[in-house]
Amino acid sequence: MAGDIILGYDGSDGSRAALRVAVTVAKAFDAPLTVVFGYEPNPMGGETADYKRQLEKIGSDMLTTAVSEAKALDPSVAVEPLVVPLRPAESLLQASLERDARVIVVGGSGERPIVGAILGSVPHKLLHRSTVPVLVVPAPEE
Amino acid sequence: MTTTTADSGELGARPTGEAPGGKGLKSGALGLLSSLVIGVASTAPAYSLAASLGFVTLVAFKFAPAVMLVAFVPMLFIAAAYFYLNRADPDCGTTFTWVTRAIGPRTGWLSGWGILVTDLVVMPSLASIAGYYTFTLFDAKSLAGSTFWVTFVGVVWIVVMTAICYIGIELSARTQVLLLGAELVILTIFAVVALTKVYTQHIAHSIRPEWVWLDPFKMSISTLSVGMLTAVFIYWGWDTAVTVNEESRDAKRTPGVAALLSTLVLLAIYLIVSIAAQAFHGPDFLTNNSSDILNALGHDVLGSPWDKLLIIAVLTSASASTQTTILPAGRSALSMAVHKALPPRFGSIQPKFLSPGFSTLLFGLISVVWYVALTILSPGIVLANSILALGFGISFYYGMTGFACVVYYRRLLFKSLKNFLFIGLAPLLGGLMLAAMFVISIFYYSNPINSAKSGQAWFKFIQFNVHVLGVHLFVKQGVSPILVIGVGLLVIGFPIMLLWRVGHADFFRRSREAAASLHASAPPLTPGVLPVTD
Repeated sequence: MAGDIILGYDGSDGSRAALRVAVTVAKAFDAPLTVVFGYEPNPMGGETADYKRQLEKIGSDMLTTAVSEAKALDPSVAVEPLVVPLRPAESLLQASLERDARVIVVGGSGERPIVGAILGSVPHKLLHRSTVPVLVVPAPEE
Repeated sequence: MTTTTADSGELGARPTGEAPGGKGLKSGALGLLSSLVIGVASTAPAYSLAASLGFVTLVAFKFAPAVMLVAFVPMLFIAAAYFYLNRADPDCGTTFTWVTRAIGPRTGWLSGWGILVTDLVVMPSLASIAGYYTFTLFDAKSLAGSTFWVTFVGVVWIVVMTAICYIGIELSARTQVLLLGAELVILTIFAVVALTKVYTQHIAHSIRPEWVWLDPFKMSISTLSVGMLTAVFIYWGWDTAVTVNEESRDAKRTPGVAALLSTLVLLAIYLIVSIAAQAFHGPDFLTNNSSDILNALGHDVLGSPWDKLLIIAVLTSASASTQTTILPAGRSALSMAVHKALPPRFGSIQPKFLSPGFSTLLFGLISVVWYVALTILSPGIVLANSILALGFGISFYYGMTGFACVVYYRRLLFKSLKNFLFIGLAPLLGGLMLAAMFVISIFYYSNPINSAKSGQAWFKFIQFNVHVLGVHLFVKQGVSPILVIGVGLLVIGFPIMLLWRVGHADFFRRSREAAASLHASAPPLTPGVLPVTD
């Protein structure tokens, strides 16, 4: 398994736009698509086992939706969901290394630079740290 | 390294008992430094000293350093319980889940209530320190003296911190290291400068440190107990150093080493600062300025503008401490809901930020209400009432943790000397010490003369006068606010539990468990997950 297209997916509008592009890219390269949901609770808050089980459920539900959306767009693309217990940017970087990824596709957060500055923008982190190309898909205009 | 792969059909279906993060992609394994930083930052040394040094001195006078030292003993013993129970079950319910497993659901529920109440009781002290020290940072003395404006900033502080926890804003690991490092360096500089001045200059009321300050046997049992009940607070949160890293199972030694190092750091900083503070102007100064101790001392020791560094350290420390109060409070409530001990709403997770949204916001809201109410009921002594009452909640649920460890591992206690010492004797002694402090302090505070404001009492219609085992328990004119806050809030958990039990008997039907091995993970307390999101 190599040359995957890695897609970061969190259910947001941006990530759904990214999903449509990622399917097209996967089709063009005839590469498998891995849809990644990453989460990691703040370690300052102490233990998390049951909390993580909840998050994993949310993530897997979200990815189930993503996989069926991708299948609906193009049934010929192989799609695999991947829940990673790391912060979103870390999970994509990790997955891209593991899968020898061709490209990472993520949604942009649109015209909200302050939100990105406070929360830490995932595309921004990826652009600096990824070893593979990063494709940022703009969120659809409201 | 294997990868978490799953078909859409079987995602989330994990073999029971497997700890999350124990498989799949590297799950944020924390290094030694991160564990150390989390443990010490959660304990928040600068804020803890600012909040409690004056009150420990109020109780123990010049033996405050001894009390600070001895208070660590039960906390160390209980940390062993945290370490071993966390191995079996790293749920965020911590004491709630462990006590439920080991002792039973009713006691477990009350322990969970104890965690939530204790988190609530500390909030006004955090908020009032944040409000007061913010104004002193900008030399706004008149505002710092105004109950209204201090409370106003305190409320803003709670709101902002709740939002930070709700949205999930985190400082980078490097920033945390820098902030904590700065905090420790500033406290050390403060202590060294104070001691140097004591030995080289003529400072008003200064006294040179004496060894006797560290001798706990010079106090009565009652003074020592009440002092320790106040002082356990400074070590509260330290247990995260032993538990937080447990999930990176390959790094077996890290939690132990991190705990040991953070212990040394904390003990050293608390001792040197409390000795230096007492030496500088004598214990009377500490008791007279108990509510703004580091500000008052910082000004005289470091002088302007260097004293501002100390104030900044208190504020960053209070910020870390507020977060390590709100985050676990939300997660404890989430855990109780997941295990059907609270309504499912408390377990709901905000889908965008993935935080326990409802619980976190509700905790923030109740904290604001409680803080404002307490300020109205006891203006000027909110900090005193909160800090002096806090030890009851901490002792209760930490003590329960100690007992839960002994009971949960009851079949393994005599398998080896190591078992006997670490999962038997230490947690048991820790629990008994905390229980003794708890009971002795009830007698002490039952006399309103020992209230934060001497003679202040609430519920004045309550009057009784009894002798129990030769000890005089009397309530002449109502109950000290410290008892109402510290014990009253714990006690009302009992009727609330009975109310919840009506129609929700599932949780209360479970039977007790005993560990079969010291190394095995326990299966989840409740199988399955809640299907709820906000």
